[in-house]
Parts: sequence; C-alpha cells; structure tokens
Amino acid sequence: MDDEIILSLKSKFPKSVLTASLKNGKISLSAKKEEFHKVLSWLKGAGFNHLSDITCVDYIDEEEFEVIYHLWSHAKKRRADVRVRVSRKSPSIKSISDLWPWAQVHERESHELFGINFEGNPDLSPLFLENWKEIPPLRKDFDAREFVRREFYGEK
Amino acid sequence: MEKNEKQKRDCFILPFGPQHPASGHFRAEIECVGEEVIGLSVYPGYLHRGIEKLMEYRTHEQNAMLVPRICVLEPYSWGLGYANVAEKLVEIEAPERAKFIRTIMVELGRILSHITWAGIASYVLGFESAHRIFWGGREKILRLNEIVSGGRIYLCHSVPGGVRRNFPKGFEREISEVLDYIERRLDFYDDLFFNNTVVIERTKGIGVLDAKKAMELGVTGPNLRACGVKSDVRKDEPYDAYPKADFKIVTKREGDSYARILCRRGEITESISIIRQLLGEMPKGKIRDRLPREIPKGNAYFCLEAARGEGCFYMVGNGTDKPYRVKVRGPSFLHALTAFPYLAKGSQIADIPAIYWSLDPCPSDMDR
Repeated sequence: MDDEIILSLKSKFPKSVLTASLKNGKISLSAKKEEFHKVLSWLKGAGFNHLSDITCVDYIDEEEFEVIYHLWSHAKKRRADVRVRVSRKSPSIKSISDLWPWAQVHERESHELFGINFEGNPDLSPLFLENWKEIPPLRKDFDAREFVRREFYGEK
Repeated sequence: MEKNEKQKRDCFILPFGPQHPASGHFRAEIECVGEEVIGLSVYPGYLHRGIEKLMEYRTHEQNAMLVPRICVLEPYSWGLGYANVAEKLVEIEAPERAKFIRTIMVELGRILSHITWAGIASYVLGFESAHRIFWGGREKILRLNEIVSGGRIYLCHSVPGGVRRNFPKGFEREISEVLDYIERRLDFYDDLFFNNTVVIERTKGIGVLDAKKAMELGVTGPNLRACGVKSDVRKDEPYDAYPKADFKIVTKREGDSYARILCRRGEITESISIIRQLLGEMPKGKIRDRLPREIPKGNAYFCLEAARGEGCFYMVGNGTDKPYRVKVRGPSFLHALTAFPYLAKGSQIADIPAIYWSLDPCPSDMDR
C-alpha cells in the first residue's frame, strides 16, 4: 500500500477514510458520511476531475444504502471510487453538486430510484417516472414482478 | 439567465419532441423570445424500461439478451460491456479469439452507429434524400450482423466468457468487402453531407463548447474530443483486442457542432483501419469459456468507449446466479441533460436540431 494518493489521504483524513485499497491501479476508498465531501473535494484537487457516475446499492440486510462515487483522472489516467454508507431509515447525504455541477442529475436519478435525499441539491424532481406512487423502484423491497401482475393484469 | 420584464411578457414555450424524428423519444421545452432561445428544460423518461431492475431478476445468460436493448443504435457496445464486467468480477479473461471477434464487431457497430447518426442528422437539417442514402449504406453492416448472429440489430452475440458464435467460413473476406464498399462510399458521403456547404453554414460556429466547459458539464466521447481533449477509453484503459490495434484519437479544436460532425467522420476511417489490422492477426482457438453460474461476492466497474462516449457498468454480486445490482452509465444522459440546455441558451430556434443532433444523444441509453 505505498500509493502516494492513498498515503496522503490517510495522513490528511485519518478519521474520515475508513478503508483504502488498491487493485490494478484503481483506488477504492470508503469514507464516513459526515466527511466524505472533504475527501471528494481533496481528490478533485488531486487530479480526479471527472465524476464518471454515482451508483446506489441497497443493502437491505444491513439496513444501509451504499452510495458510490466513481472518479476518473484525465491527467493521471486512473480511477478511484469513494463509498459512503447511509442509514436506510432516513437516507440523507450531502450533495456534491457544488463540486461537480452535473452530479445534480445523477443525484436526481438516485433520489428518484432509491429515495435518498441529497441535501443541498437544487432540483430533485422526478426524472423518469410519471405519477409514481409506490416505494422507489430500485429498492430491494420493491418487487417488480408483483407490481406488474398487480398493475397490468389486475391480480391481487 | 435572469429574465427582464419584457422577456417575461414576450416569452413563449415551444415543445421539442417527443415524437420521433425531431428528438428521439425525448422532450424539451424551449423558452423563446422571438427567435432567440432564452432557456430550455429537458424531460427524459419516455424510454425508461427499468433495465437495471430487470437485470436483478436474470442470470448472465438472460442478461446478455437484455443488455443490448439499452441502446438501439449501438447494441453491441453494451453487450460487450456487460460481458467484460461479468468477466472482471470473476477475474477470468475471455479467450483471445473471442476478444478479437468482439472488437471487430464492436467497431463495425461504431461505424454503423455513426452512419445511422449521419442519416438522422442530415434528416433534421433538411436533407431527406441523404437520410435514405446513409441508411442504405447501413444495410451492408446489418447484413454482416445477420450472418454472424442471426439478428440484424440486436446481435446478443457477446456473452460473459466470450462470444456465442464463431465467424462462419469466409466471413473475414465478407467484412473486407463491406469495408472496401464503405471506404469507397465515404468520398461520396463527404460530398453529400460532411463537406456540404449548407451543412457547414448551419453548423459552423453553432453550439460552441470549449474544453474547460465541456469537462465541467461531464461531456465524454466524440463531443469532448471535438473540443481538443485527447480522451478515449480505448486508449486510456484498453480492453479486449484494442492493445493490438494501432489507431489515433481523432480530435478537433473548434468545439462547435461542425467539429463534432467531423470528429465522427474521422472515427469511421479509424474504425475501418482497426478492423483491417485485427482481421490480419486473428488468432485461432476457442471462442468461449464457461463462467461459473454463481456470481461471486464482490463488485467490479468497467468502462468502455461507446460510439457516444463513456459507457460504464458497475456490477455487484452476492453469491447467487443473478447480479445483486447492475448500474449502467449511459453517455447520452449527461449530453442531453446538461450539455444540451447549456448550448441551447442564447441560440436561435432553427439551431436547436443542429445542436441536439451534433451531440448525438440516444434517449434509450439516457433513460435505460
């Protein structure tokens, strides 16, 4: 583990970076929810200027959502990802649309499909679904097949 | 843009889409004062099929059939991406011959996508006959698709572990013939569309994006390269048989709609050269390794250069035979949702189709 970025991250944020690993040149970090914003901001300054994607995963057994920020550095030609765990009961996380303006639409998508609230995001209106009254559809407790049978075939 | 009193009074809203040829299945509301566009809001979702959720109910074998449906204009890229991310998760590499076959087919898919796009772009710019001519040229590649997999559009050919079918006997020669045909036709396409005075007049200096702003908007692929940024996943993180091919990244500096058009034109030539090189070095051997049925615990992230930009897959496995979660990043998502409103502001109504189609968004990979 002698990667310079991981070393400086660990010395800079000894408490907020929980784990760090390196695989085929890709940095994988998990950060505390309270301070992940600072970690991302530092990584952006260190050259990881392209936010490739924001993914959410619903770990229903652990009662948590995982929000993953996938970064890419145009200059260094390498990838990094930052994982943050959010409680499933009141899912809320700070928005990063101040760092990457386009994160706004990725967050809007995650808000719609998982119901995570991104604090500070200016527009979290629905993107894809129309008149959606069920629980957010990509959550694990939403059964798409049961929904189709009920909604389109009238089965109870 | 803050509206003043007069603008508020005179502002009217013009719908753009969602009927097909103008915008794809995608709707935008153009706010205009007279001919000038002062704002644009976008409403995707007309093609949302919930592919990410559907994948959680299906095995690799079934997903290989579903994934190409992410984008109808370039289905092969997505099949290849899914195959690669699944292989990455179990840390298996596909056989060498399968990698070559995939790369050749995906480059054919790129040419197909660019020719299809040129047809649509010429249609919205008012050349209906050019549209028919481009789509006629596309037919040659669709026939190749049919020979190799039985499907003209959705090949469902690339599966985790390799490819479903080998090239039939004499197929390499048929590919060469089609490439020769396309190369001959390219001069004609240049006269017809790419160097056409009317196209130049309607796209040059329209929708100018500089490199810094493009990176701030999350633009990738040919649209970013048209601003002079040398960024291509095929070079940065080579996958499949790309390390074996020698090609250059086509860049332009102007960043306007015409530069984006020329970038795609340059990529057709480069793709032809990649396929020719790979055809000359095709290794022999098997085309498929069986992957274990269970997807192991863990996660993998894979990026590919789709015809429209950076396409990514993130897959989480939990030990069952179905993926726990698959996330797809479609390049058009950001092109249409951030870059298009930015470029449209301050332009004229008549420039909107030129701006939109020079970005080449595909609503189906936007909505998934």
